[in-house]
Amino acid sequence: MIIISPYSKALRNGKQNPKNYPYWRELIAQIKEPIIQIGIEGEEQLTPDFRKNLPIADLKALLRECRTWISCDSFFQHLAWSEGKPGISLWSVSDPLIFGHPQNINLLKSRKYLRENQFLWWELVEYNADAFVPPEVVLKNV
Amino acid sequence: MDKILCSVATRGRYFTTLPLVLNAIINQTRLPDKLIIFDDNDEPKDMRNEMLYQYFFQMLDIKGVKWEWLFAEKKGQHHIHQMANSMDFEWVWRVDDDAIPEPNVLESLALFIAPNVGAIGGAILTPPLLPTNTSTGHIANIDSENNIQWNFISTVKEVEHLHCSFLYRAGVYDFNLGLSRKAFREETLFTHGLFLKGYKLFVAPNANTWHFRNPEGGIRSEIKEEMFWHDEQIFRNTLNLSDRTIVVLNSGLGDHIVFSKILPEIKNPELFTCYPEVVPGRSIAEAQRLFGDIEPWNIYKKMDSWKWKDSLESAYRKLYL
Repeated sequence: MIIISPYSKALRNGKQNPKNYPYWRELIAQIKEPIIQIGIEGEEQLTPDFRKNLPIADLKALLRECRTWISCDSFFQHLAWSEGKPGISLWSVSDPLIFGHPQNINLLKSRKYLRENQFLWWELVEYNADAFVPPEVVLKNV
Repeated sequence: MDKILCSVATRGRYFTTLPLVLNAIINQTRLPDKLIIFDDNDEPKDMRNEMLYQYFFQMLDIKGVKWEWLFAEKKGQHHIHQMANSMDFEWVWRVDDDAIPEPNVLESLALFIAPNVGAIGGAILTPPLLPTNTSTGHIANIDSENNIQWNFISTVKEVEHLHCSFLYRAGVYDFNLGLSRKAFREETLFTHGLFLKGYKLFVAPNANTWHFRNPEGGIRSEIKEEMFWHDEQIFRNTLNLSDRTIVVLNSGLGDHIVFSKILPEIKNPELFTCYPEVVPGRSIAEAQRLFGDIEPWNIYKKMDSWKWKDSLESAYRKLYL
């Protein structure tokens, strides 16, 4: 079983979070094993098994059961690292050398897409789907 | 050699004590690398049009001291000092606009610059001088003894807080911006914070500054009594927790998870958090109430100011360990 954590926290200005991976549907279609999506109420359901608003303890239990996980740059990659479960983090404009963990597979298309100031509000950053690796690259690492 | 910025915050003293202070700075035996005058006047003037100030600027230029006249935001001198604190100088010599340093003050203070030193102060002399023979400079005695800087200092001594004018290591501890415009206790909170961070504080001999407490003008003029009590409460709250490492995690869930890895290494932590299920602690609102300002614990602001390239975990280590 694979866990996916597709979405980062919603932005206060209603814009799409620049950390959200744009090709989840294409990627999910190519994964040939059970997938559990985790997230919160209001996020788009991408898989039949979508578990919303799980407490931390339940997320840790799921991490123990899963083969691996795929996540955008959100709290989940930190939680998995903390639990010693390596997986795949999908990056775009935030720097995995600062916010990622070397124990994970950090897929960054190019450092040229990194935002100049890594510490500003996300509301100030425009969404750029081109900044992400395509689903085939993710699949190769799964 | 370490670069030293001299900062002077001024209000209502264009033609009284400020010229004396500037003249004293220009005539130091060890000159600062730059002088910035933070003008906090309600109706600031362009002093480049004043003959007396033209002389000062001319002397600074000839002596190779860069200078800048900045118009402050009128939020209080702690905001001014925090600006100076974050201007990428290694050291800042803060001088009040009615505190006149003798010519050797900066040179005498700078003698004590070392990697483990946070700040050095000299005597701050306001006639009539008060006895300080038994003063220790310990924070626990702050209510019961005269400040050790209020008389001549005969020998170098380690202390736990400094007053008025001193030379400090910049960029390692923040001024509390939650204080009122009066900013009562701001320098005590700041220097004691440096001390708690593990830096040594010294009072040094042969570094006398004459502090005349000019009743006209001053950065703390036109303020109200309640501001005093507001600031005093923040000071007492901070002091009551001075044996603890204050941790304020006003950030996301992921940040809490990363922080939790270093928590066991933090000595005697007092925690304020957003996600108590990950890092148990008191509320952020309580931290705000106790300390007035929680920005000194804003890890993102810190990483930005440090031009950080390393991991988030390492940034937490730098902030708290």
